[in-house]
Parts: sequence; structure tokens; C-alpha cells
Amino acid sequence: MSALTFTLTTSAKQRIDCSPLTTDLLADKSLADIAAIELVIGNSSERVDSLFELSGDDATDIKFVNSTDKLDFIGRNMTSGKISIEGNVGGYLGLFLEGAEIEVTGDTGIYTACEMKSGQIKINGNAGDFVGGARPGYKNGMTGGTVIVTGNTGDRTGDHMRRGTILIEGNAGDYCAGRMISGTIAVLGDVGAHLGYGMKRGTVLLTQTPSTGLGANFNDCGSHTLAFLPLLFNSFKKLDSKFASVDSFSRVQRYAGDVGGIGMGEILVKI
Amino acid sequence: MIINGVTIDETFAEAFPMKGTRLIITALNAKWAMISAQTFTGFATSVIACGCEAGIEKVLDPSETPDGRPGVSILIFAMGGKSLAKQVETRSGQCVLTSPTSALFSGLESETEIALGQNLRFFGDGFQISKMIDGKRYWRIPVMDGEFLTQEKTGVQASVGGGNFLVLAESQAQALAACEAAVVEMKKCPNVIMPFPGGVVRSGSKVGSKFKALNASTNDAFCPTLKGQTKSDLSPEVESVMEIVIDGLTKEDIDVAMRVGIQAVCDLGAANGIRRISAGNYGGKLGPFHFHLQEIMA
Repeated sequence: MSALTFTLTTSAKQRIDCSPLTTDLLADKSLADIAAIELVIGNSSERVDSLFELSGDDATDIKFVNSTDKLDFIGRNMTSGKISIEGNVGGYLGLFLEGAEIEVTGDTGIYTACEMKSGQIKINGNAGDFVGGARPGYKNGMTGGTVIVTGNTGDRTGDHMRRGTILIEGNAGDYCAGRMISGTIAVLGDVGAHLGYGMKRGTVLLTQTPSTGLGANFNDCGSHTLAFLPLLFNSFKKLDSKFASVDSFSRVQRYAGDVGGIGMGEILVKI
Repeated sequence: MIINGVTIDETFAEAFPMKGTRLIITALNAKWAMISAQTFTGFATSVIACGCEAGIEKVLDPSETPDGRPGVSILIFAMGGKSLAKQVETRSGQCVLTSPTSALFSGLESETEIALGQNLRFFGDGFQISKMIDGKRYWRIPVMDGEFLTQEKTGVQASVGGGNFLVLAESQAQALAACEAAVVEMKKCPNVIMPFPGGVVRSGSKVGSKFKALNASTNDAFCPTLKGQTKSDLSPEVESVMEIVIDGLTKEDIDVAMRVGIQAVCDLGAANGIRRISAGNYGGKLGPFHFHLQEIMA
């Protein structure tokens, strides 16, 4: 069996809702059935085979080739199997993902891993704003799983994040961990302004002090050796990421905040 | 059966079902990991009065522990899951949480779990922090020397308590030397503990007593000073009897430990005053697990 492959054959002018093309929804469907699925494009819809060339037969292993940033909602609600994407993708990649795996070779749009529950998303590129966040008007962002971004993330990474881990090998934008409820965000590069704004609980782990400094809403708790950090780094070792080879450290400067709120969040900076 | 001049009685040791778990205690160095483990497993020789039976299973190299620090693995056994949970919680709270630089982890995975740090976290008075790492929840509890890290739960499995054998010797010193040699070898076996002081018990008991308040009393048949007063099981040459009690995660683990221990005693042999190996056999009153000495040594 070979991966069920969707090769984009058109230059999409409108956004395409790809949420019907998941391992769960395509299981036990023939290629003819899949070809006949109607995808919402803008304010109309089109058959899958009018947009993609189909090949392969393994619906547990889906590939998107020639993908563009017009393809939204890839992997929505997916609970098993894997989606691999060659090219950029649009918004809401892995929305409500639960236990499945997505890998992108390219950049992603806004709301990547939005309200993700479990599983893993790896982005070999940059991610847009609101990685791991909650949908507008909702209060809980991702509640589990791991997101790996080899490049940079946009603004408001981990907004309203509830649980889970976001690992950023590059830089994170402004308002990272804003309104974060819990979970872990680790950044190997720099972090933008207003880090942890409105943060309630959770951990931001940094290898360097942000170039813009930390806000007055975080209080310095001093330098410490924290026993959980070796366990955390150990859990990274199985990942296909720079984090797997980062030298484990447990010595950190601890800042607690946002003290404008309940102040139970923490920013840990390697020392 | 005779091994190196030592008679192996045609009898069996009687053991009973327990619930057990393994915990891993780590600390800044091996000394403090051991202090914490010894404190936890103190006053845990017998469920008769201690609530649980516990002991140190193994000293762990930093490469064997979850946080990469020196550690000690301990085994705890109790008569049921609830009593085990109670003992684990109180001993963890009073003996590990309080011990400088310590951290506490589960050393046993099982579908059945009991609380480890789940309730200890409240000591943090709201400042405790939860961390989910690799699907397991940990609690970081702020304490005066830094943070106490503990796993939320530990696994529990059906286990076996009360495996045993008796060493019958010509003198007290010879019985003790033989038991010491046996315990040294048995401590190399995984998944077992010998919960009594130094692994040896000199006051083996029988089930029941003439006094209504007691469930157990001295095993008079093996008390050398009572040879002329009771229905003794001792020959005139035997002047001292000591017992090694073994608790294990499985019956097979106890089988292995008993074989290793009895062999170590027999290696000293009759030349060192060892006359017989027997076992605590209570006629089926104590428990369903029977360890036949001659089968184990066959």
C-alpha cells in the first residue's frame, strides 16, 4: 500500500476547506468516493478531483503535495494516522487534533494546532500567529500533545494554552504565552515583546533572556536548580527536533507572573 | 534432601497475597537518597503491627533514575490497596517530602494506581505546580530547600508476602552468620525485599495465641529453650533458629530469592554448624502460596 496522495493541480484563488480529507473520514472509502467529495471553496464547493490529482490507497497515511497557504483546516478532528504536507498550508492546521500526527515541510498560517487535544504536529518551517491557541471567543487553547516548529512562530504563541508542549527552535513573536493557562512552551531563539502577558499558570523555558527584556509584570524569584527539568529534557530525546540534542540543564533564573493576575506562571531562563 | 551436610526439610513455606508497589527515591547524592529510603522503610517489618512491610530493593545508579540523580528503589507491601495507599501517602509525606534534596517517583507501572504525590501537593498551599511529562503527571511542591518533585501516582500489583525459610544451627553465632551470608546473596535478586532487621528475624511466629488479643505468638516448636516444654521440632544439637522472610512482586521472584538464600546457607554447610533448613508451615492456615523447599532446591 502507498500513501493516499493529494497533489494540488490548480492555483487556488479562494481558500479551500480540507477538513473532510482526514484519515478518519477517508477510511474505507474508494478513490472514486474520495474524488467525489465536495470541498468548500470560498462561498461555493468543488469536487476533490477537480482540485487534486489522487493516487495511492493507504488512507491512514495521507500526503498533500504542491500545497499552498490556501489549504485550511487540514487534519481537523483527526484521531489516528498521519498527514504529511509538502508546501505551505493555511490556517487551522490540526484543529482539534487528537492522537494523530501531522508533518509539514513549509510554513503554516494562523491558528496552527488550535485547541489540539493530543498527538504531534511538526512544522519544518515557520508558523503563523496563535500557535496552540483557542478559537476566537473560546477560552481554552491546546489541551495536550506536542507542537514542534523548526523555524519561527508568529505573535500570541500559546494564547489561552491549557496543556501540552510547544517547542520552538527559532524565535517566537510578541505576546508569547499570553493568557496561558498551563502547559509548556520552550524557545531556543529569541522571544518578542510582552512575553507572558496575562499568563495564569504554565512554564516558558528559554535558553536566553529575551532581547526585549521581561516585563514588569514578572517578578524575579532568583536562581534555582529545578529537578523536573532533566525529566522534561529527557522527554524531548525521542523527538525529531533540535530539542532532542539540547544539553539538559536544570539551573535557571525563575520569574513568576503575570503578577497583574494570579501570577502563577513562570519564565525559566537558562543560566 | 541433604546439601553439603544440611538437611532440607520436606515442608513448605506458607505465604499470603499482598498488594505491592515500587518507589524510587532520588537525592543530591547517594547518602541522602539512602537516608530518605531508610526512613521511609523504617518500622515496616511486618503488617502485624506496622501497617506495611517495606524494604530497600536496590541502590540505583544515576543512569537508572528518572531525574539522573543517585537513587534507591524501595518496595512496599500491604494487605490491600487501600492500606497500601495510606502507608505510601503517610510515609512519603513524613519521610521523603521532609528529606533534604529528595524527589519521589513511581517505579512500577500498572493499570491499577494509587496516589503518590496526588495529595502531598496540597502541602504547597496553592503554590504547587503540575507538569505533564511523557503522559505522566508530576507535582512540583515548593519547600524550603528548593522544590520537592514527585510523581502523582504509582502502580500497584498483586504480590506475595511471607515467603520464608528457617536456618537451624548449632549456635546463635553460626545461625546469624549463615543468615547474613544468605541476605547478602538475596539482596542481589530483583523484585524482593527481606523486611526484618538486617533481613533476619529471630522471633518467628505461629498463627494464633492462647491470649485472645493476639493474632500471632512465638513459634514455640522452633524455640530452642522450650525443647523440653513443648512439642518441639528441634533436635538436641540445634541451639538457635533464625528466619528470613521474603516479600516479592511475584511468587517466582520469591522462588529465586529462596533458592539463592538457601544455597548460600548450605554453602557454609554442616562444617559451620548448620544442621537443617525448614520453613514456616502453618498447615494451610496462613495463605495460599506454598514454597516447597525441596522443589525449590531440586
